[in-house]
Order: sequence, then structure tokens, then C-alpha cells
Amino acid sequence: MSAAGYLPDLDLPRRNGELAFDAPWQSRAFGLATAVIEHAFGGDREPFRRQLIAAIAAEPGRPYWESWTIALEALVRTLPEPPIASSEGTGVQG
Amino acid sequence: MSDDAHHPAPLSPIELRVAALEELLTEQGLLPDGFIDEVNRRFESQTGPMNGAKVVARAWVDAEYRARLLAEGTAAIAELGFGGPEGHHMVVVENTDAVHNVIVCTLCSCYPWPVLGLPPSWYKDAPYRARMVREPRALLAEMGCPLPDDVEIRVWDSSAEVRYLVLPQRPPATDGMTEAELAALVTRDSMIGVSRL
Repeated sequence: MSAAGYLPDLDLPRRNGELAFDAPWQSRAFGLATAVIEHAFGGDREPFRRQLIAAIAAEPGRPYWESWTIALEALVRTLPEPPIASSEGTGVQG
Repeated sequence: MSDDAHHPAPLSPIELRVAALEELLTEQGLLPDGFIDEVNRRFESQTGPMNGAKVVARAWVDAEYRARLLAEGTAAIAELGFGGPEGHHMVVVENTDAVHNVIVCTLCSCYPWPVLGLPPSWYKDAPYRARMVREPRALLAEMGCPLPDDVEIRVWDSSAEVRYLVLPQRPPATDGMTEAELAALVTRDSMIGVSRL
């Protein structure tokens, strides 16, 4: 069981030579994190990275994208309450 | 969102959590319409190992470019038009007859997106992250990359600041090839350092 788990699986679909997500929810979780990083943290990836490290460390055997989602939930909890929702967006930068 | 209209599968707990996040972020104005699809399109079209392959092939045919790439990776990679998130501080490490380089992120999944795209699953898994530091020679052999004992293995752990890219050795018997032909020989795994060309 050891080696096969690490070997690139040549049978799975790829784009650009890269393995695509295993399930749609994973690509959505990826896009959601990008939205928070770009729109609430001014493009600074470090706060999310810290949450991801913590989520992985908390349960090392947990599937990666689940840890990713848990990290994103934790990051979102650190956001200030949004001002009154408006169609103009929050304007939060950095 | 099931493919099967007759028996729509109930959402799993993790799918429900992602859906709840999506709803919350939309309410907060952080998720414009169509943003997720746009992000995924952006990654598929603009990042990936074919970018790294062009960098490697250029370094193989142009000694001055190679020198710039090894000295100042981010700038040299930007010369070919590649850059962006997770690629702001690129360091390129060169394989030689005596040294083999391999990259890992022990804490999470840091990876040079602009030149390699998103990391494969095994790169993000705990066994790779732990074992590549503890027993790289054994793990590389298991992954189909056995190395002679006299080849030094250098493992580069990505940090908050730095993303690494391996410059593989140019394969033998490729003297007459064009840069584009050479780029087609370069694999993602050779630029991670888990295979040799």
C-alpha cells in the first residue's frame, strides 16, 4: 500500500498536465478561499496559510480539502462583522 | 448539484459546510457572482507545469538566462511572463550529477503555482510531507526515482516566504532539439524533484 499512494495517478483527468480537483466541492472551497484572500485580506495569503497549517496539524490524517474548508471557516470567523450589507460590496481591503 | 437527476445524492457534511460558507460570503459581499468559476478558469489557463517547462527549457538553451534564473528566480521567471500568487519569492535549485533537489511543504501545501499549477494530491498528504524530510532517499526510490548513494539529496521545505522550483538536468542526446521540443520533455514531477528526466 505504500508507494502507490504517492504516485501520480496517470489515469485521472488532468488539465494543463495537472490533476484536477477530485470533486466539485473542492474547487468551490478553493475559489471561496481565493475570494476571502482577495476581497477581505487584500491578497495577503498568510492569514489563511496560518489557519491551514493549524487545521492540518490538528488532525494530520484528515483529507486535505476538509482541512482546507475548516481553515477557511476559522479565517472567516476572524473577519469583522460586515457593515450593513450593500450592493456596493464591503470595500474591505488589507 | 447531482449528476443524477433521478436520485439526487444528499449533500455530504463537508459539502454542506462549503455551501454554508458560500452563502455566508455571498451575504457579506465577498463573493461576486461567478467568482469561483472565474478563479478556476484563471488557474487552469494561466498556471501549470507547462509554464515551468518553458522556464526549464529556456535555461537549458540559454546559459545567461540560466544564470539569471539561479540568481534571481522570481525576476527570471517573470521574463517569460509568469508570476502571481504563490510565486512572489521563487528560488530555483539546480540538479547536477552530484546533487538532486526535491521540494516539499512540511506544514501545509505551499507550492509554486505560477510555474507548476496546483499541487497533486500526494504532495499535500501527510506521508509525503513527513517522509520526504525524514527519509528522502527511500521515499524517492518508492516513487520511482532511485538515486545512487553518492548523489546528495537536498530537500527544500517551502516557507511562508519562499517557493522552490527544481531545475532538472537536461536529458542526454537532446543536442539537436529546439527549445519547444525540450519543453515538451519536462515533466511536473521532475520540477518537484520526484523524478529525473
